[in-house]
Amino acid sequence: MTASDTTDDADDYTKVAEVGEIPEGRGIGVDVGGIEIAVFNVGDGEYYAINNRCSHQQAPLCKAGEEKTNAEHTWTKTRGTVNTEECTVSCPWHLWTWDLETGVNEASGQRIATFDVAVDDGDILVRI
Amino acid sequence: MASAIKRLDADEEVPEEAFDVEIVDMDFHVNPREEELRPYVEDDRALDRLSTEFGMWPIPDKWDAAYAIEEGNEGLFTQGRAEVAEDVREACDRFAIDEPIVNAGINGLPQQHHPVLKNAVLEAGNSYMLDHFVDEGVLTALSISKWDVDHALAELDRWGTEDGVVGAYSWYDPREPWGATQFDPIFEKLESLGLPLLLHGSLAFWPQHSYVGDNMLTWTEVLGFDWPIHTMVNAINMIMSGVFDRFPDLNVVFQEGGHWWLPFARYRMDEFYEMHPEDVKITPRKFEDGERYLDRSPSEYLRENVYVCTQPFALPRNAGEARDMLDLSMARDTFCYSSDWPHQTLDPPTWFFTSRAFRDDQETRDAILHQNAHDILRV
Repeated sequence: MTASDTTDDADDYTKVAEVGEIPEGRGIGVDVGGIEIAVFNVGDGEYYAINNRCSHQQAPLCKAGEEKTNAEHTWTKTRGTVNTEECTVSCPWHLWTWDLETGVNEASGQRIATFDVAVDDGDILVRI
Repeated sequence: MASAIKRLDADEEVPEEAFDVEIVDMDFHVNPREEELRPYVEDDRALDRLSTEFGMWPIPDKWDAAYAIEEGNEGLFTQGRAEVAEDVREACDRFAIDEPIVNAGINGLPQQHHPVLKNAVLEAGNSYMLDHFVDEGVLTALSISKWDVDHALAELDRWGTEDGVVGAYSWYDPREPWGATQFDPIFEKLESLGLPLLLHGSLAFWPQHSYVGDNMLTWTEVLGFDWPIHTMVNAINMIMSGVFDRFPDLNVVFQEGGHWWLPFARYRMDEFYEMHPEDVKITPRKFEDGERYLDRSPSEYLRENVYVCTQPFALPRNAGEARDMLDLSMARDTFCYSSDWPHQTLDPPTWFFTSRAFRDDQETRDAILHQNAHDILRV
């Protein structure tokens, strides 16, 4: 996953966002050629891309970390979370936790697709 | 070769088709905060005790659902807390829910001992809901106590004819089932008001204080199966004790009590009843009314008078199996969609637009998503 030699045409990497567009601890959802992908910023310039749909009930994982309704009256404040230290995302609907590196949910043993990500000249690129 | 990309809509979380179908949500919880309820407690003596630490929640639980949830007790608020009508509308927009039936969801009340204090909290919750939801045009189910029939009747007298109150909300618990004759005045009143009885699982199950309960240590056992078992017990008890012969227009909705148990109950009730029905005439209502048998087969009451909420749907992934389950469960006549927002078992209506079982049978889909609700709610 090197950044220097990746271009859209050469390696099937596709630009999905620019650095600065995705806050640390949050993600965005993109449709790349009909495939829904969630791209997360875990800090230190690292990004992860994973299937956007939780295998449980098809919740959009890109919403993880979104503020809850009346968040100030809740403890955790967000719907699901992006755990930047553990490199995991928990689903905004039922908190299924997905490993961003492997795409595995430990409790169910299920796995969803992950995608290579590169950063090149301020662009965040995903390989399909 | 560069792929075509587009940024996904940040506001919609369910398939687009869901926004083209009317969706009524039979179980949407509002969570007013304690300080918001206090001004609605009318009796100063009750308010004084409710405002004292441990005034209302003195029973220590042996076990809590929170142990199972990644975020502990916050699981009850995985989506947040709706406190006013605008919160509800905002949450529903995201899930294509057109008409949420809201309730105050104070599901710990049946677990409490003190009769005066819990009645005071129940009344305050209803008053809050009248001000913040009924008056704002949100369809609402207001609460009635199971532990005090006279109080339930007084509450129904207070708000039972209000426009926008579409049902009465109460609970099933491990105590006497709803088929007991002491509840007849409530049934009679609900029938006259045209209100269905919505029965939700209660936290009274948590500390079981029994050999069985003390050994149920997982959420899967307690919430997953204890609630449905007691739902079955209550539904079957109401049917076999003749509630619906005496109150044929009464509709009862079980919330969070599961739904796939219907085929089991349907066939087993009929088999047992038709085989040996001679004890029915000595059940209290039938004895008093001088009747020997039920007016109909037990399963017919299940189809006509009993409704079950679908959350969490747990639909088989195989469409053929799903269709069979729906048919056997009489889903077209008995299932009502519910989200349980904002809790950990939240069930957005995704199933109805991702399973071929519904793509091939939109009549059943629409019955579950809105028609059955229209048939029984006082809208």
